[in-house]
Amino acid sequence: MYPTRADEEHYRTRRTDQQIDHSFTPPCQAACPLRMDVREYVDLVAQGRIMEALQIIRNGNPFPSICAYVCTHPCEEECRRSQVDKPVAIRAIKRFAVEFGGDRMVQAEAQTTQPEKVAIVGSGPAGMACAYYLRKLGYPATIFEAHTELGGMLRAGIPQYRLPRHILDTEVQRLNQMGVEIRTNTKVVSLDLLFELGYKAIFITIGAHQSLRMGIEGEESPGVIDGATFLREVNLGLKPSLGRRVAVVGGGNVAIDAARTTARLGTNKVNILYRRSREEMPADQSEVELALEEGIEFVFLVTPIRIQRKNGRLNVTCIRMELGEPDAGGRRQPVPIAGSEFNMELDTLISAIGQAPQTPGDFNVRIGKGSTIQVDPVTLNTNRPGIFAGGDAVTGPATVTQALAAGRLAAYRINDYLKHHYPLPVREERDTLKGELLPETIEAIRKIGRIEPPVLSPETRAKDFQTTEMVYDWETATNEARRCLRCGMGAEILFQDKCASCLNCIKVCPYHVPYIDATGTIQIPPEQCQACGVCVAECPAKAIVLRKPYDRRSIDEELEHIQKSKTEAKSKPLIIGFCCQYGLFGTGTLANLWRRASGGIWIAPVLCVAKVEAEHILRAFEMGAEGVFIAGCGEQCSRENTTYWVRQRVAKVRRTLAQIGLEPERLQTFFPDSDKEPAEELDKFAGKISELCLAAAMTQEVKS
Amino acid sequence: MIVAEQKPIEEIRQIIAPYGRVLILGCGTCVTVCNAGGEREVSFMHHALNVAESRSGNNTHDFSEYTVKRQCDYEFLDALADKVNDVDAILSLGCGIGVQALVERFPDLPVLPGVNTSFMGMSREWGVWDERCAACGECRLEETGGICPITRCTKGILNGPCAGTKNGKCEANNDMDCAWILIYNRLERLGQLDKMRRYYPARNFRAIPRPKRIVSKANIETGEGDG
Repeated sequence: MYPTRADEEHYRTRRTDQQIDHSFTPPCQAACPLRMDVREYVDLVAQGRIMEALQIIRNGNPFPSICAYVCTHPCEEECRRSQVDKPVAIRAIKRFAVEFGGDRMVQAEAQTTQPEKVAIVGSGPAGMACAYYLRKLGYPATIFEAHTELGGMLRAGIPQYRLPRHILDTEVQRLNQMGVEIRTNTKVVSLDLLFELGYKAIFITIGAHQSLRMGIEGEESPGVIDGATFLREVNLGLKPSLGRRVAVVGGGNVAIDAARTTARLGTNKVNILYRRSREEMPADQSEVELALEEGIEFVFLVTPIRIQRKNGRLNVTCIRMELGEPDAGGRRQPVPIAGSEFNMELDTLISAIGQAPQTPGDFNVRIGKGSTIQVDPVTLNTNRPGIFAGGDAVTGPATVTQALAAGRLAAYRINDYLKHHYPLPVREERDTLKGELLPETIEAIRKIGRIEPPVLSPETRAKDFQTTEMVYDWETATNEARRCLRCGMGAEILFQDKCASCLNCIKVCPYHVPYIDATGTIQIPPEQCQACGVCVAECPAKAIVLRKPYDRRSIDEELEHIQKSKTEAKSKPLIIGFCCQYGLFGTGTLANLWRRASGGIWIAPVLCVAKVEAEHILRAFEMGAEGVFIAGCGEQCSRENTTYWVRQRVAKVRRTLAQIGLEPERLQTFFPDSDKEPAEELDKFAGKISELCLAAAMTQEVKS
Repeated sequence: MIVAEQKPIEEIRQIIAPYGRVLILGCGTCVTVCNAGGEREVSFMHHALNVAESRSGNNTHDFSEYTVKRQCDYEFLDALADKVNDVDAILSLGCGIGVQALVERFPDLPVLPGVNTSFMGMSREWGVWDERCAACGECRLEETGGICPITRCTKGILNGPCAGTKNGKCEANNDMDCAWILIYNRLERLGQLDKMRRYYPARNFRAIPRPKRIVSKANIETGEGDG
C-alpha cells in the first residue's frame, strides 16, 4: 500500500480488489454444454467436502446422477492434465460425489408463481431439463410423452448396464415432486390443439428415433433390424430372438450399445462392421475398449452391400473399403475396393448407421437438413411463434448433456418469450483459459497416474444388464480429484505499482512460470501457473494474489474464527494447527488429528500449507497460542516444493521466536513422510507445550 | 541495489522502549527486494513485536504499519503527514538514507532504524545477497576486468593477490573466492593479462571528502549556460 492523494479510498478499493474472483473459465467448464463448474466440485471432492461438491454439481446440472453414468465427458477431452499424463477422471469423480453426497436425498421443490402454462412435447433429457427449469422459474409445465414412461432416449436408447433404471426413476419422481404434470401414453398430433388447451408456449423435444436406412438390396428382409428399434425393444422389456450369429453395422455409440446388448442376450458371436478404421469411429473410445473386452469383434473397413435370405438365415455380401481423401468434416472417406466382396452367414443384422428425428407434418414447423427442426440458435424459437424446439430433434443424434443444456436454455428462452424480454439480456462470461502448457512446465508438474474406477470383469458383466462400472471409494476419489491442475486460478501480479521487480516470484516458482517480458515487467502467464501459492506467500511487496482469492475462508478469517470461538480453557494451553485439507490428509490423517486432538487444539484448515505465510504463524502466537504446528501432505502433495517453503518459513519464525524468548520447539511441522504416526506426534507435541508452559509459569513465579 | 538486514527483535525492542505509539514504516524499493523492509516484512515485524509485547506482559506499545514506495524522497513521504500526528516515533525499515530523509521531513519526530543497512550488492540466489560495490567514488573496474578488488578482496588491496590466496580462495574465509584470482582469470580470458603487470598506486582516502554530493545541474545564476 502506497500513499496517494485519495489514500483511504484507494486502500478500500485495494481490499475489495483482492476479494474479487479474477479467474479464467477452465477448459473443462468451457467444453461442458452445461457449463458445469468442474474445477470447483473436483476441488471440493479433493478436500473431501462431498456435500458441497454435490451442491455445486446440482447448481449446474438438473440430473447429475444421470450424467454421472452416461455423460460422454467432453470436459475430459479438454482437460489440460492430459498434456502431463492423463486427464482427470471427472465423470467418475462426479459419480462419486453424487452417490456419496446423498443425491437421492435431495428434495426438489418448486412453487407456481407464473400464470402461463407451458407444454413440453417429448420427455427425453431435453424435455425433462426444460420442465425442471420451468418449474424452478415458477411456470406450470406439462410433459406429453407417447410412451408409457418418461425418459425418451434415456429409457429407450441407453442400455440398462450403462444407466440403471432406478436412477432415471428417481429423477422422474423428483419432477413429479416439483409439480410437473406428466401425461404419458399421449402422442401429440397437433400443436394448435395445445394452444387451444391454454398452453402459452410449447417446447418440442421429440428426439431422433428414426433409424437411417442403409439403402441396400434386401434391407427389408426379416432378420434385419435397425439399432434404435432393437434397443428400444430390449430396453422396454422385450427379448427379441436374434439367433446365434449377429452383426451390427455402424461405428457410433448406438452400434456399440446394440452390440453389447446383443452379447448380453446370449448370442454366440457378435461382429461390428464399420466402413472406416478405429481412428475414425465416432463412438466413445472407452466404450469401444469395454466392448472389445466383452468379446465383441470389430471388422473395420467393411460395409454390407447386399442381403439375401436363405433357409431362415441371412447371407450378407460385404465389400472391403480403403480410406481415401478426407471429406469436408475432415474424416477420410471410405472407398470400396473392387472385387473384394465376401459373404457372411448371419442370423440377424442390426443396422445402426445413424438416426434422424421424425416430426409429424401437422406440427407445421420448418424442417431442415437431416429432417431436423430448424430453430433460431439463440432463442430456440421455430418458425412459429411460441413454439420452441431443442434436443436431438434439432441437432440430430447428440449427447445427453447437450440435450440437457438445450432443455435448460429453452426454459430460459421460453421465460424471456413469455415475459417479453427484448432484447435478450446479455450475460457476461469470464474469459476461457487458452494456451497449452509449456514443455518445461509439464516437466515440473508432478506426475500422478489416473485411477480408473473399478469395472466388473468382462465375464461377469457380459452375462446380464448390471451396471458395469463401480464407484470410487473415498480415498481413491480424493486422490484422483487432487490431480486437477486448477486451471485459470493461478497467481497474478494484481498491484503492478507495488511490484519492486525483486524477482522473488521467478526464483521461488517450482514450475518456472513467471518471466520478464521485453519491457522488463514481470509476467505470470495464467495458462502456465499451477496456483500453488508459493509466490503469493513469498512476494515481499504483497503484490501477488491468486486469481480466485480463496477456495474457502482465508487463513486470516480462519484465525479470527478461532479467536472468537476458543474458550478460555485454563487447564489446557491453546495450540493452533494449520492443516492441509487436500486428499488423504483432508479425509484421513487430519480427521484423525481432529478426533484425537485433546482439548485446547484448534485447527485452521488451509488448502495447501504452502499458502501459510510466516505472518500467519506469528499471528497464531499473537492470539495467545502456546504452540503452533503445520501439518501438510509432505511428499504426497500434488504440488512441488511445498514442504521446502513451509520449512523456510518455519525456520524464519523460529529464529524470531528465539529472539523474543520463546522456545523454538513451540513451532512444529508434521508431514506424513516420516514413519511416525502423526496423531501420536501431535500428542507428544501437546505434552511438550504443556511442559513449556508450566516451566514458564514457574519462572514467572520465581521472578515475582 | 542497497542491501539491508533486519535488526534483531531484542535490539528493536530496546530502541522503541521509550515510545508508546510506533509507526512501522516500510519502503517499497531496495529493502523490499532484499526481503528486509517491504510490506511483508513490515507486517511480520508488526506481528513479531506484538507477540513479544504480549509475552513480556507489558503491553505498553501501540503499533501501526505502513509502506511507502520510497523513503528516500520527500515527495513519497508527504502522504505520511496525517499519519504521523498520532505516533510517538517512526520505526523505519528503510535503509539509512530513508531514516535520514524521514528525519528531515519530520523534524519533530524521533525516527528509529529497524534495519542495518549493510552494503550495495546483488542477489546470488533466493535469500542470498553478495556485496559488489563500495561506492568509493573512483571506479577502476576497467583495469581489473570488471571485478572490484575494493569490495571483493578482504583486504581491499589494489595490487593483488596477496600471499594469503590458496586454491583460489581467501585465507580469511575458505568459502570466499580470492578477488585477485578472479581478476587474473578474467583478464586471461579477455587476453588482457598485461594489466596484471601494472602497479596501481595506493588510493588517497583523504581526497574523498564526506558527505559526497553530486551536482549535475548547471548553475544558471552564475552564468553557466549563457551565450
